[in-house]
Amino acid sequence: MTKLRTLSTAGAMIALLSGPLAAQELRFTVWTGNDAHLAMLNGIADSFTATHPGVTVKYETIPAGDYVQKLTFQLAGGNPPDLGWMFENSIPTFIAAGAVRDLAPTLTSTEGYDVADFSEPAMGLWTQGDSIYGVPFSTSPFMIYFNKDMFDAAGLEDPLTLAAKGEWDMEKFREVAKALSEANDAYGFEFKDGQGYDSRIMHAIMPPIRAYGGFAWQDGECGFNKPEAVAALTMLHEMVFADGSIVPPGEQGDYFSGGSAMTINQISRASKMPEAGFNWGIAPLPTGPAGAAPIIGQAGLAVFSESKNPELAAEFIAHMTNAENVAVMAQFFPPARKSVLDSEAFINANALIPAEQMANVSAAIEEGRVLPSHERSPQIDAAMKPRFDAFWRADADVAASLDAVCEAIKGEL
Amino acid sequence: MGTLPDSDTTARASRAPWLTLRRREAIEGWLFVSPTLIGFLIFFLGPLIAVVFYSLSEWNLLSQKTTYVGLANYADALTENPDFWHVIRNSVFFAAGLVPMNMALALALAISLSRPGKGVVFFRTVFFAPVITSAVAWAIVWKFLLQGEAGAVNQMLAQVGIDGPNWLREPNWAMVAVIVTRVIKMVGLNMILYIAALQAIPRDYEQAARLEGASGWQIFRMVTWPLLAPTTLIIMVITTIGSFKVFDHIYLMTGGGPENGTLVLAYYIYEQAFEFFNIGYASALAMIMFVIVLSLTIVQLLLRQKGSA
Repeated sequence: MTKLRTLSTAGAMIALLSGPLAAQELRFTVWTGNDAHLAMLNGIADSFTATHPGVTVKYETIPAGDYVQKLTFQLAGGNPPDLGWMFENSIPTFIAAGAVRDLAPTLTSTEGYDVADFSEPAMGLWTQGDSIYGVPFSTSPFMIYFNKDMFDAAGLEDPLTLAAKGEWDMEKFREVAKALSEANDAYGFEFKDGQGYDSRIMHAIMPPIRAYGGFAWQDGECGFNKPEAVAALTMLHEMVFADGSIVPPGEQGDYFSGGSAMTINQISRASKMPEAGFNWGIAPLPTGPAGAAPIIGQAGLAVFSESKNPELAAEFIAHMTNAENVAVMAQFFPPARKSVLDSEAFINANALIPAEQMANVSAAIEEGRVLPSHERSPQIDAAMKPRFDAFWRADADVAASLDAVCEAIKGEL
Repeated sequence: MGTLPDSDTTARASRAPWLTLRRREAIEGWLFVSPTLIGFLIFFLGPLIAVVFYSLSEWNLLSQKTTYVGLANYADALTENPDFWHVIRNSVFFAAGLVPMNMALALALAISLSRPGKGVVFFRTVFFAPVITSAVAWAIVWKFLLQGEAGAVNQMLAQVGIDGPNWLREPNWAMVAVIVTRVIKMVGLNMILYIAALQAIPRDYEQAARLEGASGWQIFRMVTWPLLAPTTLIIMVITTIGSFKVFDHIYLMTGGGPENGTLVLAYYIYEQAFEFFNIGYASALAMIMFVIVLSLTIVQLLLRQKGSA
């Protein structure tokens, strides 16, 4: 009898120890190594641990340049993280390969989690039917950064003023870029981070294409050689080679060190401005014949199919993207939750950007669309690149070059 | 009646030590080579065999789906994919440009710097320094120097009235630029090999040839060059293999562009494996590269044997 009691006590203790008190660790891959970012993320993890005793979250930084490769090798090599950040151009490939889990059951059943609070265009890339394969944590619109001193030196109204008057359109953009390059020892405009001819082709060409009412591809059809896109890219080509107002291929004209008067980038780059040494501002993208066409860049959170703790990982995403934590993350990552976007706190959140300029940011997030994406994005990019190299020659036949782009990618669409 | 064997003799025979001197030496030998042997088996032979198997499958790393496809990946590369032959042409062009330029320059430098003299050590160091310089730093610096109008190279050419091209944005010039910068980076290694070979040639041969009235060129052609042949062969083999495996320069300077003008085999394999995650197809390409390099090496060795016969 005593033996039986001893055994049952031991059994109960083992059950207790291996039950709710057993430690569980969630491995979470990110591409930031920034101390402030990690401190904020650890704070969110601590608040999750408070309601889930024994659960810890371990953030693992993988540099952005190697992120997708290293993540893929971890997943394939039997060492899968539970969840992680995902780039906007990678998520369609991961969804198509079945490498990420549907979060909808967890998100819709989490008390107080309002999925409808997320801006619909911002969720477009991450949902398929009723399934939700990721939740965007950063939805950052592309804005025009301008060097106010160079505008003043050229005697020009800056883009913010022109936008307020409703005159900030593609024609005006071309006109001021040319005038700026003539008045200053600098180019008028630089593509995002000077990479518009290489890794940022889409960032360079999509703003004018959409402003002219064009598209890259849709429903398996290529749009680069449609009249709207041809008109937009003809203007861009002329700005580079005829006007000499955009930093040309193979040259450097860094905006942040005064090499160009304007550039296009996201608000995270504002952190570089205090050391730039000139007066500056941010304005919306110029409108075109099709009206305003703001563009957003995104990053999201996803749970990997190979995760050893998929339910718990999904619960953590629900926690991390609830209204309270999205407001916390908004100090670094512009949110897609409308309730946070519309709040005074967000408009006044950025110490470097005045409230009236942040209002433009907020509007662009609500109306903006992501860059075109596709489950075969890597193949499409590789097929497009050599054809766009040919397009970016001074003597290129624009229409013929764009036909060649469409011919090269049609098999991938 | 026969004689029974001496019990002592029997015991000694049965207790003959297993660890004979011969065995001990053999074990010691295996122990000495085992670190290299284990490394060879794990890090070379194992992956090589694995690549052969992967090349016979269609394996998408992301979806984890693997299908046996036999020789389809090889057939696809060799007969259906036009990119493959474009890549092979680029690789051959790269090797054909780099190997002779590298060897000729290395030999010229070695002849100039093989004998003691003022400043010889300094110049040897200068020409060898790029070999030990980080390839990443090297490529990035050259990328800046080779910018269009603002690049230092074109600024210097402009001083003498030459309008330089936009080096890294025009396909043919980009290949030339990558070849030349690679040659400058690696020529120091071959220079050292040639210097060692030149210093090993007895001075008596040269002096004898001079007494016979041979000119400098004749001495080089009839005495020095033939005696350098074994070193030349080694240099040719390793430079050719290296040129077919070039990746870092291409990745850092041109990314295979512009217009796929510098898309060489090693970079193409990387693209297929690590950007498209087509491990099966990339493995087949790697096997093709292995066969190409192996064939070139065998051909060069055979030519050498024929030449010395």
